[in-house]
Amino acid sequence: MRYREYIRRKYLTIVGHVGTLLLGVALFLLLSLAALIQFPEELPHAPWFVVPALITAVIGAVFRLAGRSAGKMTLSLADGGIIVLLSWTLAMVLSALPFFLSGLLNYRNALFESVSGWTTTGLSVLNVETTPNIFLLWRSLMQFGGGAGLAIVMLSAIVGPHARGLYQAEGRTEQLLPNVKHSANVIIRIYVCYTALGAILYVVGGMSLFDAVNHSLCALSTGGFSTRVASIGYYDSPFVEVTTVVLMFLGATNFATHYVLLHGNHRAFFRNGEVRLAATLAIFFIPVILVAVALPLYSVEKALRVSLFEPVSALTTTGYTTVSYADWSDFGIACLLVLMLIGGGICSTAGGIKQYRVFLLLKSLAWEAKRYISPATAVHEHYIWRGESKFYVDSDHLKESGAYFFLYLCTYAIGVLILLACGYSLRDSLFEFASALGTVGLSVGITAPNAPALMLWTEMAGMFLGRLEFFVIIYSLISAARDIGSSLTSA
Amino acid sequence: MFVVIIGCGRLGSRLAIEASKGGMNVVVVDKNKRAFDLLTAEFSGFQVVGDASNQEVLRSAKISDADIVAAVTDNDNVNLMVAQAAKHLFGVGKVLARVTDPLKAEIYAQLGLKVLCPATVAADAIGAEMLK
Repeated sequence: MRYREYIRRKYLTIVGHVGTLLLGVALFLLLSLAALIQFPEELPHAPWFVVPALITAVIGAVFRLAGRSAGKMTLSLADGGIIVLLSWTLAMVLSALPFFLSGLLNYRNALFESVSGWTTTGLSVLNVETTPNIFLLWRSLMQFGGGAGLAIVMLSAIVGPHARGLYQAEGRTEQLLPNVKHSANVIIRIYVCYTALGAILYVVGGMSLFDAVNHSLCALSTGGFSTRVASIGYYDSPFVEVTTVVLMFLGATNFATHYVLLHGNHRAFFRNGEVRLAATLAIFFIPVILVAVALPLYSVEKALRVSLFEPVSALTTTGYTTVSYADWSDFGIACLLVLMLIGGGICSTAGGIKQYRVFLLLKSLAWEAKRYISPATAVHEHYIWRGESKFYVDSDHLKESGAYFFLYLCTYAIGVLILLACGYSLRDSLFEFASALGTVGLSVGITAPNAPALMLWTEMAGMFLGRLEFFVIIYSLISAARDIGSSLTSA
Repeated sequence: MFVVIIGCGRLGSRLAIEASKGGMNVVVVDKNKRAFDLLTAEFSGFQVVGDASNQEVLRSAKISDADIVAAVTDNDNVNLMVAQAAKHLFGVGKVLARVTDPLKAEIYAQLGLKVLCPATVAADAIGAEMLK
């Protein structure tokens, strides 16, 4: 009986925190009304945002009140996972309401757009040409919020005693400062500053203010929603492309690494494994794509631009494009595929397997070889540079990365099989699901409003799993199921 | 506010949790990795494994940036040494040291350190309770 009471209080506390996060989502919904400043003629669309915002706020307030009745409780890491899982799910459902209520999309496509937004993927089933600007701004805002992480945005504003659970549950394993609240604060500050800088550069590059803000929000969050059908390709400007490449790289870099760099510690920056891996990949893939793919297709100048832009967009899991991939060779598609699977830095806004894990596993191969040729009694200290200090890698840490890698590839295989079953070619299925699972958003064009329902749901699942990094979802579901089970049996 | 806590026993861990909850930046140092098991999920600071009597370890805990250093290991001599290093070598503004032996507390206090003796503190508290 006592145990049941404990579980009841624990879940009330969890619900209370979800409520706080939802209040933030309501605020975000209202923020998209800012588009009315520039486009006052879109005022008739305002209710589609005000009503969902009210619904979200009411739910949030009720949840918070429920949470308050539980009193003070300490939540563990697993409970943080449940909070993150619940609030992301609710946020995605509620964020789909504007698209659905306005009749712009049916419920499935509206949800797809919202999931693609919050997970910073950028796959879209919306025709951006005919969509009112206010909805375009809402998509960009979702990516901005999703990029930083719902919990991080909230953490910087409020501090709970359960902060660390939330922080880690959302896929942040590295802290910048020895306090979660300060870390979250610094992340938000870095993030907002870069976004503002990006918007200014875009305006300088010739974009309208509205486009500049939208693209900056989506480039830094490595989201990739655009206000144009042809994405960045619409502007056909080297300046805009280079700006985007820089923003994408910034977005896909670990925030802890940013922090080190902004503090002027260049040595620690260049010692970082992720930075080295990303640089190596770029140095290898850009010339390869230039020679093998781009030069036969485009003029020399265009080829140079394409082979810089597309690999970076794939690696950083952003998903902006300047060209169509229809005439790309299979080799070129495969190169992008590899980059999409690897993805960005850990503790960044990007998705994928993450450079850190790939680097760690590559490093472990070297360690393994070294152990084999050393005397049997030799003692090795395996370390990598993380932030400003050495991090000693034990086998548990390696095991975790290995398990993640395996789980990622398994999920990828299952997703590809489902897409194949929907009748798409192997090339299209491999590419499109890697794009969804890695929250990239590059498309060979098969993600469309009239695509089979099964495929859209599969991609949604892929995006969701990819953003929240599997383990959080799996562990939270297991622990929630156990709590429900034990509270039933003890009744 | 940046706090470095040396020693993560029952006292140190509790101190660290409270400081972390209070919104301070906290780094805890202990030579035994298992000692950090005492920290709950409410602690969100950094942990440094190492012997605090080694200055390299203190440096990796960024002790020279600290606003407060609390040396609360169960070893009086280590506490004294760390406290002196923090005050004179690293120029930390506020240094607190725990001393188990009330007799030693006298001597340490004469060295210009802020010394807290748990036995004396507890005796005062219990005494006050008795006289109430």
